[in-house]
Amino acid sequence: MRPLLILREALATAWAAKVPSALVVVLVATMCAATLATVGRTAAAEAQLLDRLDSAGSRVLIVADTARNELITPTIVDQTALLSTSERAVGTLIPVDVVNGVIGDGGTRVPAWGIHGELPAVATLLAGRWPGPQEAIASRDALRALGMDEKAGWVTLASSTLADDWSIVGVFEAREPFDDLEAGLLYPAPTGRALDAVRVVLTSASVAPAAQAQALRLISAPSPDALSITSPVSLAALQEQVTSDLANFGRTLLLAVLGAGGLLVTVITLADVLVRRTDLGRRRALGATRGVIVALVVLRTVGPALCGAAIGTGLGIYLTARLGAAPPWEFTCGTVLLALLAAATSAVPPALYAATRDPVRVLRTP
Amino acid sequence: MLAVEDLSFAYRKGAEELFGGLTYEFTAGAITAVTGPSGRGKSTLLYVLGLLLTPNRGAVLLNGQDISSAPDTVRSRVRAQRVGFVFQDSALDPTRTVLDSVLEPALYAGSTLAQARRRGRELLNDMGLGSRADHRPGEISGGQAQRVALCRALVTDPMVILADEPTGNLDRDNAARVLAALSAAAGSGEQGVGRTVLIATHDPFVIEQADEVLAL
Repeated sequence: MRPLLILREALATAWAAKVPSALVVVLVATMCAATLATVGRTAAAEAQLLDRLDSAGSRVLIVADTARNELITPTIVDQTALLSTSERAVGTLIPVDVVNGVIGDGGTRVPAWGIHGELPAVATLLAGRWPGPQEAIASRDALRALGMDEKAGWVTLASSTLADDWSIVGVFEAREPFDDLEAGLLYPAPTGRALDAVRVVLTSASVAPAAQAQALRLISAPSPDALSITSPVSLAALQEQVTSDLANFGRTLLLAVLGAGGLLVTVITLADVLVRRTDLGRRRALGATRGVIVALVVLRTVGPALCGAAIGTGLGIYLTARLGAAPPWEFTCGTVLLALLAAATSAVPPALYAATRDPVRVLRTP
Repeated sequence: MLAVEDLSFAYRKGAEELFGGLTYEFTAGAITAVTGPSGRGKSTLLYVLGLLLTPNRGAVLLNGQDISSAPDTVRSRVRAQRVGFVFQDSALDPTRTVLDSVLEPALYAGSTLAQARRRGRELLNDMGLGSRADHRPGEISGGQAQRVALCRALVTDPMVILADEPTGNLDRDNAARVLAALSAAAGSGEQGVGRTVLIATHDPFVIEQADEVLAL
């Protein structure tokens, strides 16, 4: 028998036996909606948690030369930026206070950081241009504090012993996670000068242990006390634990929902087979093979299951959207496929039973 | 050509064997009535010949070939392509139209839907039931249902037609119509050879009309 005609017969049978078909629709819809509302929410929560754990602020590694031993050279900063675990990296100098060059010592002080590395890695230029030697860019907050309306002007060190000044050539906004730089100015660190810290934004929190080890190897501090490290290593461990726990919980719940639903589909299909044994016996007598009977019974279940999956998925998406925890689309597609697979698999035992029944017993009229 | 050789069958191990080693050659182009007291295996013989049951001993030969011991898939294919069944209560699908019931064996035999529909309509028209094609079995009479069942048995142009008490539930007029249709079917086989038609019956009217009688 041609496959499309088997499908035709199966769908006609499903339509003719509306009660068991409706029960399969309801069951599979419930399986899909329940899976999305429970396991799907877990998956959405896991995704949201991982997003938060993986935000730029949660994956920053800072190694500081607290003893000022000139351990962090510009070359080391450049090498750190090139590591595979590094999304971006810059070296920073300890901030110095600067004042409006026109006003002088009496003016409001704002911090100024010397930066070695790509300035676009830490800031977005809003106006003007990137600074060269003895030039700086300022944040809007810093300009307001300095009393500068536009990006024109200059600043000088607010120091009684040292003198240095920078022309303001641009306005910036700090990029995450360098929000602390929003308070002041940025200027290119003098060429060749050792930095006080290297700040690395990692590709993910999970690579923190490896990145930390790599950075420390590059710096090669003479003693552990020479450096201060701020690292998301513990955060990486937390991320792994949370992911594992949520995945295990989700898997158990999914198996329970699909298992219970599948069992009920088996019962409904078996009941339908028993009610239709005369029909199935007739088909065998007229030339249907055992394989055709199995296909008819399974497809007759899969047809309504498809409708149920569509309805249940729609309902599940609506519910999870209302609760603000919509699962990823890959999860939704996977749920539909699993529900259909569970329904089809659950129909196989009754199908085999139907295919192996003696048709003569049901055809003989007493 | 349909024949049996040393045929015996028992429903259970140790139970009484039916047919007692029957050897018989059924005549193509003729109606053979299979008769006997109740319990002698009239219907069972038809189911064995129709390859729904496997004999304990002996063989069912179709054109000289033993098909009774073939695998189920082969027997199903032979049943679909070479054998037509007419059951006592017509056994039409109450949820489908008359035409869908007629074309069912053709689909199992591998026909396309269009081919099967064309053949089905031809047969229904020949039987005077063309206007009933889109009706359901519950909307036609018992005699019409049995003639629809005969159309179903003929849709694949089979070599053999097995009818189990086809007139059991019919009045004399309808029984005569069905017998006439079976007789026409017997005479209209492929390549002018005629079909082998077997009727399991205890109806004296049918036995009287048959060309041959096999008493079990």
